[in-house]
Order: sequence, then C-alpha cells, then structure tokens
Amino acid sequence: MSETAGDAKPEVKQASKEVKESENVAEKYSAMTVSKNSEINMGELSSVFSAVPTHKPVKKQIQFVEEKQEFSRFPTKTGRRSLSRSISQSSTDSYSSAASYTDSSDDETSPRDKTQVNSKGSSDFCVKNIKQAEFGRREIEIAEQDMSALISLRKRAQSEKPLAGAKIVGCTHITAQTAVLIETLVALGAQCRWTACNIYSTQNEVAAALAERGVAAFAWKGESEDDFWWCIDRCVNTEGWQPNMILDDGGDLTHWVYKKYPNVFKKIRGIVEESVTGVHRLYQLSKAGKLCVPAMNVNDSVTKQKFDNLYCCRESILDGLKRTTDVMFGGKQVVVCGYGEVGKGCSAALKALGAVVYVTEIDPICALQACMDGFRVVKLNEVIRLVDVIITCTGNKNVVTRDQLDRMKNGCIVCNMGHSNTEIDVASLRTPELTWERVRSQVDHVIWPDGKRVILLAEGRLLNLSCSTVPTFVLSITATTQALALIELYNAPEGRYKQDVYLLPKKMDEYVASLHLATFDAHLTELTDEQAKYLGLNKNGPFKPNYYRY
Amino acid sequence: MSVQVVAAKMAEVELKDVSAGKALPAESPVTPTSEDKTLARNEPQREAGSSAAAATSPTAEPSAKAGEGSRGLLTPSAAKMPQASALKHSDPQQNGGDAFVNRDGTVAEAPRMKKIQFADQKQEFNKRPSKIGRRSLSRSISQSSTDSYSSAASYTDSSDDETSPRDKQQKNSKGNGDFCIKNIKQADFGRREIEIAEQEMPALMALRKRAQGEKPLAGAKVVGCTHITAQTAVLMETLAALGAQCRWAACNIYSTQNEVAAALAEGGFSVFAWKGESEDDFWWCIDRCVNVEGWQPNMILDDGGDLTHWIYKKYPNMFKKIKGIVEESVTGVHRLYQLSKAGKLCVPAMNVNDSVTKQKFDNLYCCRESILDGLKRTTDVMFGGKQVVVCGYGEVGKGCCAALKAMGSIVYVTEIDPICALQACMDGFRLVKLNEVIRQVDIVITCTGNKNVVVREHLDRMKNGCIVCNMGHSNTEIDVASLRTPELTWERVRSQVDHIIWPDAKRIVLLAEGRLLNLSCSTVPTFVLSITATTQALALIELYNAPEGRYKQDVYLLPKKMDEYVASLHLPTFDAHLTELTDEQAKYLGLNKNGPFKPNYYRY
Repeated sequence: MSETAGDAKPEVKQASKEVKESENVAEKYSAMTVSKNSEINMGELSSVFSAVPTHKPVKKQIQFVEEKQEFSRFPTKTGRRSLSRSISQSSTDSYSSAASYTDSSDDETSPRDKTQVNSKGSSDFCVKNIKQAEFGRREIEIAEQDMSALISLRKRAQSEKPLAGAKIVGCTHITAQTAVLIETLVALGAQCRWTACNIYSTQNEVAAALAERGVAAFAWKGESEDDFWWCIDRCVNTEGWQPNMILDDGGDLTHWVYKKYPNVFKKIRGIVEESVTGVHRLYQLSKAGKLCVPAMNVNDSVTKQKFDNLYCCRESILDGLKRTTDVMFGGKQVVVCGYGEVGKGCSAALKALGAVVYVTEIDPICALQACMDGFRVVKLNEVIRLVDVIITCTGNKNVVTRDQLDRMKNGCIVCNMGHSNTEIDVASLRTPELTWERVRSQVDHVIWPDGKRVILLAEGRLLNLSCSTVPTFVLSITATTQALALIELYNAPEGRYKQDVYLLPKKMDEYVASLHLATFDAHLTELTDEQAKYLGLNKNGPFKPNYYRY
Repeated sequence: MSVQVVAAKMAEVELKDVSAGKALPAESPVTPTSEDKTLARNEPQREAGSSAAAATSPTAEPSAKAGEGSRGLLTPSAAKMPQASALKHSDPQQNGGDAFVNRDGTVAEAPRMKKIQFADQKQEFNKRPSKIGRRSLSRSISQSSTDSYSSAASYTDSSDDETSPRDKQQKNSKGNGDFCIKNIKQADFGRREIEIAEQEMPALMALRKRAQGEKPLAGAKVVGCTHITAQTAVLMETLAALGAQCRWAACNIYSTQNEVAAALAEGGFSVFAWKGESEDDFWWCIDRCVNVEGWQPNMILDDGGDLTHWIYKKYPNMFKKIKGIVEESVTGVHRLYQLSKAGKLCVPAMNVNDSVTKQKFDNLYCCRESILDGLKRTTDVMFGGKQVVVCGYGEVGKGCCAALKAMGSIVYVTEIDPICALQACMDGFRLVKLNEVIRQVDIVITCTGNKNVVVREHLDRMKNGCIVCNMGHSNTEIDVASLRTPELTWERVRSQVDHIIWPDAKRIVLLAEGRLLNLSCSTVPTFVLSITATTQALALIELYNAPEGRYKQDVYLLPKKMDEYVASLHLPTFDAHLTELTDEQAKYLGLNKNGPFKPNYYRY
C-alpha cells in the first residue's frame, strides 16, 4: 500500500494544480449548460452566450442527434442483458433485501415538493426525510464493520488525499454500503453528488444520513421514472459545480450527461462503470468512436467477477431455495442450465449438500469442465421428467420453455439465477387452463388441469436478488474496486488513458484483493529479492500476465 | 446419441469449411471471424505473451545454474544423473555440428548474410534454459529432452543389445530402409500398444473419420520432434490419414518406446528414435529427419524447440518453404517468443501450450489426481486428518488442494498473489506463511514455479516423518542441495523415496529428490495426452489451411473455435450431450451457433 500511495503522491499534487487553473473555465461551462437546459432569465442567458459562443458550434448539435440514437439502441430497461449479476440489474428491478427499515408509505408528499434543511443549514439534497439521519448513521456504522477494506483504504490514504480536487457525480444504489464508499471518497478529498440508479433500492434513512453529512444526495425509495431523471439532473446540473469524475452503475447517468450536457465531458477525467449494461453501452459508444473520455470497466475485474458470480451465487442459491421452499437438497435431482461462473457456483454448492446435479451447456469447453468436475452433461429434455429442481443461469432467453414446463414432474421447483426474466418463458404460463396460486411472497404454484403443480420462484426473475441477500463483503469488493478505479483514473498521468474503455490495471485488482485478506486473517507470503529476480517479477506485483485465467 | 450425430455434423460443416477455405480465403475454416478480427484478437495476447516471455527470461539462467550447482551432489544417488550431466558438459552444437558438416554442405551454401545472422541466432538460442534446468510451469509431459521417465517406458528392455541403431541396416517388410530404430522386429508389439492407445484417444479417431474424406493436410510435409510413444503414434497416423507425409524424431533421449517406433517404421513412417540415445544420437536423428534429398518439410511440429532450433541453425533456407510451426512445450514457446521479440521469427508459429483446454488438463485435472497417486505410490500415506501445506494456489495448487481436501486432509495454503490468496480463502483454505505451520504439518507440497520455496531452515524445523515433495517445476522449489551436508544421512528406502536423517534421528521423507512428483512417481493419463495431440493436429490443420496473410511472422494462440472443437471432440468420452443454441437464442446472445461462445478475455 505504502508503495501505491507513494506513487500517487506527486500525481495528486499535479492534478490539484490543474484543477485550480481551470476552475474559471469550469464555471463558464456550468453556466452555459444551465442556460441551455433550464429556463433562466434572459439577461443571464445572453451574457452566457456572449461569453462562450465558440464552445457550442452547430456541428455539436448535429452530433447530438446521432448520440441520442446510439443510446436508444441499447437494450431497454426491463430487458437488459446482464451476464454477470452485479447487484444493479436495472433501475426498475425491485429488491426485497437492502430495503428501508422505515416504511414511509403513509407520507404521501413527494420529496420534490418538500423543502428540507440539514443541521448545517444546507438544503442541496432531496431525500425522503432528513430526520431519519440518525437511523441511517447507525446503518452506515454497521456496514463499516464489514467493509474493513474501505476503512483501511481511508486510513492509509487519508494523509495523501489522492482525490483532492475530484468532483465526483455518482449514480449507484444508495445503501449503507454505498454510503461507506461515498464517505471514503470524501475522506480522500473528493466532493460528491449522488443519485440512485434504481427507483426501489434506496435506503431512505441512509440517504438522509448522507444529506446530513453534507453530501448532496438526491434519492428516495419508490421514485417515479420522472423523479428518477429529475434526481439525476439535479445531481449534474448545479450552479458553480461541475463534475470531473463519473461513477456510474447502469450507464443512466452517463447517458443523461451525454444527452443533456455534452460539454461537461470536456472536464471529465474519466468514467467508472460498474454494471454489465453500462459497460456494454460504453463499448458501443467506443466502437462508434463517440466516447470522448477514458472509461474504466470495473465490472470485469477478476476479484469482482469471482465474488459477484462464483462466490456469491454459490451461497445464495442455497439460501434462496431454502427461504422460499424449505426444500431439502440431499438426494434431490437438480439440473443447472449453464456452467459459467454462476453455474459452477450453484453446482458446487448443491453437490456439497448431496444433490444429484446435471448440467446443460452449449460451450464445449465449459461442458468438458463440467464433466471433469463430476457432473453429467445432458440436454434439458433428457432429464426434464426426472428432476426436482431446475436452475437457469445461462444469460440466454427461453432456456426453459412451456413445452418443458408441461413435462416436469409434480412439485418441480423452477428458478432463475441468470439474468432478468428471460430465461424461463414465464409468459407462456399465463394461459387460461393454468391456475396460478401465490403461496408465499415470491413463490407461485402453477397448477395444471390434471393437478400437477410447478413451483415458480420470483416469477422467473433473479432468485438471488429477490429471495436472498447480497453479503456486505461482496459489496465491499465492488466498492473498493470502484474507489481504486476512481483514484487510478484521477491520478493517471496525461496520456495513460485515451478515449477508450479500460479494464482495471492488474495491480489495482490485486490491491483490492489484498485489502480484503485481513478479514480472513490470511497471511500473504512475500517474495524474497532472489525469488522475485528468479521469476522476473516486481515484489509488489503485478504477479500474473494479463491472460492468466485464475 | 442424437447429440453425437449433431456434433459430427458440426465437425463436417467445419471441415467442409476448411476445404472451402482453401478456395475461398475469406471464409476460412477455423476462425469464423474476419481476418482483421483474428489479428486484432491475437494482438493483446501476443503482447501479453511476449511480456510473459520477458518475465520468464531471467529465470532461465539461474535455473540452469542451480542445476549445475546441484549436479555434483546429486550424482551418488541418481543412476541416470551422471549420464545426463556428462551430456550436459559436451557442447551439443559442436558435437552435432561437426558430424553434420561432414555429411552435408548446406551450411556453406547459405548466403553470407545469413551466416552473420546465424551467430546472433545461436546466441538467441543459447539464452534458453539448459536441458536439465528447463522451466516448465505447465507440466507438459515433455519436461526436457534428458528427463527420465518412469511411465511411458518401453516394455522390451533392450539393454542386452549393444549395437547402436545407427550402425544397423534395417528394412521394413516393404523394403523401405528410411528410418532408424532399435529393432524393426518389435513392430508387432508396438502395433498392439498403438491399438490400446487408440481406444483411449477417441478424439483423434473421430477426427480421422470426419476429415478423411477432405484430407485437410493433403500436401503437408510434417517434420516432427516429440516423445515417441503409442499416443504420438496415434497422432502421426492421424496426420497421415488426413493426407500429410511425416518424418519424426524423438524430443527426449529416454522417452521413446522402441516397439512403437518399430511399428511406425513398419507402417512406412520415417522414424529416427530409440530409447537411450546419446546427445550426439539425438541431434543426428533430428538431422536425419530434416536433411533428406528430394523432400523438404513445410510444417514443423515441435516439443521443446530443439527441432526448430536445429533447422534454424543448420538449414535457415528451409524456412522459406515452411508454412508454420506448432510448438507444444513451455520451453519451446518461450524460445519462440524470444525469437519473435528479436524480430527473427520468419514463419508463423502456433502456441498450443496455452490453449484453454490443454492448460486445464495439464495442470488442474492432471495434478488433482496425480498428487494423490504420487503420494500413495511412494509413501502409502493416509490422507484423512493429515495437515498439509500447499505452497502456491495456481492451477496446480488448486488441483492439489481440492483433491486433498476431498480426502479429509486439513489443508493450508501459502501464496504471494493476493487474488489467488483470496480465492484460497473463499475455497475454505487457511492462508498462512510457511513459517507459521512448518512445525505442525505432515506433508509439504510445492507448486509455485519459484525457487527456494522450502529452504534448509524450514527443513530443519519440520517434524519427524514430514513428507516433502514438489509438483511445481524442475527441482528448484525445494533447496535439496542444502541437504547434502555431512551431518545429515541420506537413506534411499524405495525408488524415488529418500529418508534424510538428522543427527537427532528426525527423519524427513523427500520424494523424487525434489523433482516433479507427477512425472517421477505417477503416470500421465492417455486422456490428457489425447487433449494435447488433438490440439496439435488441429493447430497443424489451421496453420496449413489458413489463407495467406491471416498469420504473420509471429507467435499465435490457437483460435478459440479450435480450442472449443478440441473440447467437443472429447465430450463423447463422458457421454456428454451438448445443448445447441436455437436460432432465436443465438441471435439474442449475438453468437454464432457453432461458436466461438466466449470473448477472448473469458476466464473459464
């Protein structure tokens, strides 16, 4: 760590100097963008135009239309593709976990119509109820216990302030864990404005606690789509403040800035994007040559991938099934569709509990892996009549069709660990001859005319999001990765990152992992000088070539 | 079974593509993507590869030195060591070179400029690891051409026959004498061996059947240098069935199965190999393979880089005809990357060592089984409840840990890489430093690829009866040399098992003198060799049929589609039924129904 910090130090100084030099320009830009998008009195408007006429040539306007098209081409909200299940599936997915304690459905006033002031007199935020701040603070303190990596990052880097001068606008789930991240960024010197990337996932009391601490947070649980975009706009479009870093989850914030305030990008040093969807959108932009700042794809970092998929799903498959159905796994026949990271996790967990596991695959390499791990590779049709549980995790659509549902045996449990709700053809079950019976939250019995029942979990949506929790430890990995990506992008010397999408440097990835080793009381061995020389490695990493598969 | 038919159909389609590819370069057989894409995809890998090569280069010399340092000390116990080290002392280039120049004048014919380059090339090649100390993170069966093998050895012990095969005149039943082997009369035994191997190599047999009609290697003249075993014989006969002409030499002086070589010679292959060649014989055989009138190779299949080296050194002009090199071993790949980096590689080369399927089988799956097998055979230890420390949690370490955990051992892991360390934690292993557990463990297994991981200080503190072995590479991981001191008594209790006795009567059980346990005390399953052989065959087909310009003068990884095809050819062994994408699903995922199914950076 001390090394990394040492490396970063001179760069930080340089960076902050640059920021000071360009602050005036920043003000001009923000003034301009404000005038472009909101009705402001004519005097101000004209002055802005006379001040910065050259910054908005007609050519830009034409590009703008194209960009819009670019963005409308990506998958729609509900049908977003997401092979890796970052917790942010889509901004309209509903969450059972990470929900607010304080149910505020009785309070009908929209937060947008309320004027609230925190204890320091600032009102630059919009949350459900600032009075809940103390509850939220407690939540955040609990989360801090499990996020020792961020806390130690805070401690180690606090004196250097590697993010001094960084103005970060963020759009993520607003939960206690995110709050720990935001407060870490603040501790490292950044100014933050934050909004929610999902209309349901906000923990109101946490948002209140953030607002109380002076973070401009715009989010509440149960926003409308209109509220959603309004919040994002309030984050970006503020007088006298222009972001120079974007931390996004899902790409909505980037989209909005791109669409509404393209000039803001001139100031932006980089985008850090967490979700598959957002990364997909960035790659599309980059491919079209329209990405005008460097972007960091933290979704595909080794550590995050392993935790989001393999380790997380290995536990949540058991948890999700138990909570919803109380099924006993021993001796049950289970078919897992897909043997990627998620499939590997599910299969391993079920096998460990004594289930008989079958696997279906399309990729021969993964199929061979399944064979060598001791699973029978079959086609779904061959076992559909035998199995007690069906789990889909292919990232594909219509993997389980009506035809197969018709042939399942009585009491068969069908669930999805893959993505969205496309894997199981649930729509085909909405026919008059079938009776749907909701037996518990997230559990439906679908009853055939002959009395056969199939148990459908979470209506084919993600089981691990709907019926299980995401451990704080996993979120800690993500948050640490995001923080390090921000530091890396912010402090990178001119020219290291071009206008492209980058993976997190392996050294940073290794650093994320090393920050989490303390949790396990794990003692990492250090190379001796002689050994490092023998292997041709730096003693502090990176330890593996880029193509290493882990 | 319908699935097998489907798979067969897929293969037919592909092979039709191959033949079509010859006529229509744009629609090429193996890589469904356009040429640009292939190149673009290969680029980062190439970079990574060369950086890896750069990373490994400094390792070669120290490892060689380590080998030299320990050689004198090792001699008393290892029967074969003196021979090997004696060979080491003789300069192969001088030895072979003299014999060679006497026989042929090709070197003189080489243009002057070439000659100047020649000196450089020599240096380039001398930089590679020495025979004995070769680095090999992935344990391809070919460790080095002088490693001794307990498995894959010949049945027929021919030590009584003292005449060198080079002095014998032999002819096969068809009157052909263009080969040099121990004894052509053993051909029948060899044929039986080959037939047994064929049973376990269904992938190559399937490839033979599927591609025979198209003969994708028609016109190919393959010169090969690999271990000559029954499994290689199946590969050679497959290549021949696909239309290639083959000439073959051994890449290891001990590993040749004489009866298999005889069977191949009887079948009309020009094979130059016998068990127990001298170093001089070794280069002579290679030269006989390459240097033949009226026949010039256009493909090279190499294992260890010796053949490539020889041609490079002696017949640089030959490369004008060569369409590509397929290299299997870490060492050879390392040498190719060095050449490529120096801008001296003048033909495309395919690195099959780093293909996904081969890597997984050579390391994870193979070592997962051989660690148990090796320990049982040598020590008959019971694993349940034993405390084991595994140094290194790469593919080999993961395999060892999983196997031992499944047997009920308590497994500790040491690591230097925080990512691998975190993986170990999440897999339920305690991550420790070796010093913390050295007093309590019953077994120490090294698989780091590093040197001096277990040093004398550790060995001193181990408890009585502790078993120490190496699954990593060469013999550098355990500092065995430090145990050759007067106060310690060595006692050989079995083949490959030494007891080292401290003055206070504490004993440590050292396996295979710190050399690779899985090579010395266990066998390599035919199935694993089948993966390698199939990968080699497909790489040859790909390079031979690639349209002009797809492969430049560089080192490439096997295209993912070929990698997937290797895996798919092995699925029938498990009666595994691969699911096919529907058109709708393929469209949804944006994939071709026949693959490749994953982006290049996918980690499996």
